[in-house]
Amino acid sequence: MKEKSSVSVLLNGILKENPVLVLILGTCPTLATTTTVKGAVGMGLAAMCVLICSNVFISLLRKRIPESMRIPCYIVIIAGFVTIVKMIVQAYLPELYETLGVYLDLITVNCIILGRAEMFANKNPVVASALDGIGMGLGFTLALTMMSTIREVFGAGSFFGIEIPFMANYKIEFFTKAPGGLLVYGLLIAFIYAVTHGKAPLKKSFSCEGCPNAANCQGGSCSEKGDEN
Amino acid sequence: MKTYIKNLAVFVCICSVITLLLAATNFITAPVIEENQNAAANAALLQVMPEGKGFETADISTFSLPATVTEVHKETSGLGYVVKLTTAGYGSDFVIMCGVNSDGVVTGAVCLSSNETLSKEKTYGENFTDKDAAGVEAVDTISGATKTTEAYKNAVKDALNAAIILGGGSVDIRTEEEILADNLDAAFPAGEKAFEKLFMVDLIEGVDAVYEATNKAGYVFVSGEQFIGVNADGTVVTEGVTDTALYSDAVAAIKASTLEDIDISAYEGLEKTVVSAKKTASGNFVLETKGAGYGIKGGDEYHPASGEYIIVRVSVTPDFRIIDCLTVSEAETDGLGDACADESFYSQFVGKTDENYKEIDAISGATLTTNGYTQAIERAFSAITTMNGGAR
Repeated sequence: MKEKSSVSVLLNGILKENPVLVLILGTCPTLATTTTVKGAVGMGLAAMCVLICSNVFISLLRKRIPESMRIPCYIVIIAGFVTIVKMIVQAYLPELYETLGVYLDLITVNCIILGRAEMFANKNPVVASALDGIGMGLGFTLALTMMSTIREVFGAGSFFGIEIPFMANYKIEFFTKAPGGLLVYGLLIAFIYAVTHGKAPLKKSFSCEGCPNAANCQGGSCSEKGDEN
Repeated sequence: MKTYIKNLAVFVCICSVITLLLAATNFITAPVIEENQNAAANAALLQVMPEGKGFETADISTFSLPATVTEVHKETSGLGYVVKLTTAGYGSDFVIMCGVNSDGVVTGAVCLSSNETLSKEKTYGENFTDKDAAGVEAVDTISGATKTTEAYKNAVKDALNAAIILGGGSVDIRTEEEILADNLDAAFPAGEKAFEKLFMVDLIEGVDAVYEATNKAGYVFVSGEQFIGVNADGTVVTEGVTDTALYSDAVAAIKASTLEDIDISAYEGLEKTVVSAKKTASGNFVLETKGAGYGIKGGDEYHPASGEYIIVRVSVTPDFRIIDCLTVSEAETDGLGDACADESFYSQFVGKTDENYKEIDAISGATLTTNGYTQAIERAFSAITTMNGGAR
């Protein structure tokens, strides 16, 4: 039972609660880094590393971090891990470092990471939090990879920087621009909605309980409004 | 209060742990990052010295290097130097990186930044690879980009000179103007380094040019490679000159020289082509004539004003031999036709006659200017013919 629960936690982030396509978190880096598959995969993996480390660290300290100090503590922890990842990428993957540019630093303020710290890591044990980090990271990476594949193949006529002979002659540059990114993003969200028959966004699991303001509103008003609708 | 202290203590602990983790990561990655950054900086240097193992910036403050040299990187295994130079091309400055090995051979040259109108200079550097000083000298400039490629070539020569100087050798890095100024000063120190070239109106045997000290103390006669200083009273000050009388007489002739104005309106049609005409006591003519260069695109009849003509001053013997020549004014294209105002161009006409005056090196990329110039010379010969009553 316990094992099944772990698998469920791991898979949750990939489809059912995909941070990009279902929870609609991290939209800014998603649109910015999906012009190339290389950049998107790099961003996904970097974010996943930060997500796993911060989830584990926050989960370890969940009983020690005071309630009123949790957001500053989370920010310090996340910023610390982002800087560590940044130094490692700069040292060992300088090309990726150049590609990601400022978006690597901006992982600090990525909603997914802060969101998972608040929604999951501070309520669950270390292993589950690590699995959540892996699942969410994979979900983020997969979503970015899907989006960037469409944008790079149609927009630049290449995949992972390798030119596709036929496509190279029929580039649609629109896909490499911001409007093209938003269009692909919207289409992928619609696709996920269709695949899951609209059941993916389970309100109870994150819409209200996961809300950073949940402790104050106690979930009452949101649930009522949801029921009314 | 107790809660505040507890909260603060937790926060400080978290910050401390994160700081320790950052310090540890930095300890491991900092040397690798520095190595990467050095490799990126060296990549540009390796373009011009592919066999280089590593580079260090050389201190050039104690060396007297050509003015174009801005930065020098020494190859750590002693292979040579990579010299960064900034030179003025057609319209703007551009930066060149040139590698020179310890044998004084160019290992590569690239243009790093340029706003030049032509793109040929981007690959022009390839012509210098594996060339020594003589080989660099033999590289041709590109027609249509003469000024840019000439500047490029001079920069490569400067890089070679810089490498010699940095290697402990000595080389004359003076420009042609500086060499001339030094020679004039050496020949006639009383001139106090201020001389003005005289426009010669009479032939002086064996003399190519005459410079007058602006303080009127005397003259310097240039005869081939020799510079002879002569006081205003005709005394030759340069030692070892045998034919002193020649120079004394020449000074006397220069001082006594008078020019008689010729009324060009007296001759039909001359006013259209000649600005002014004078005659010396010895019968030589000094004329200023108009040439229709690129500045007169539609031809003379459409632009009667002289503002856009090439105005040429030329002194000619009665038997049509050019004594001296000078561009008075021009409005030709910057960087191309305006080369007609350079002494290197108009001095080509000196010594030419009415039969061979067209045998000169044309200005590259400015055929109309060259044609306009030779037209002005031709008009001088025609004017003399007219003033001589048609005899030629």
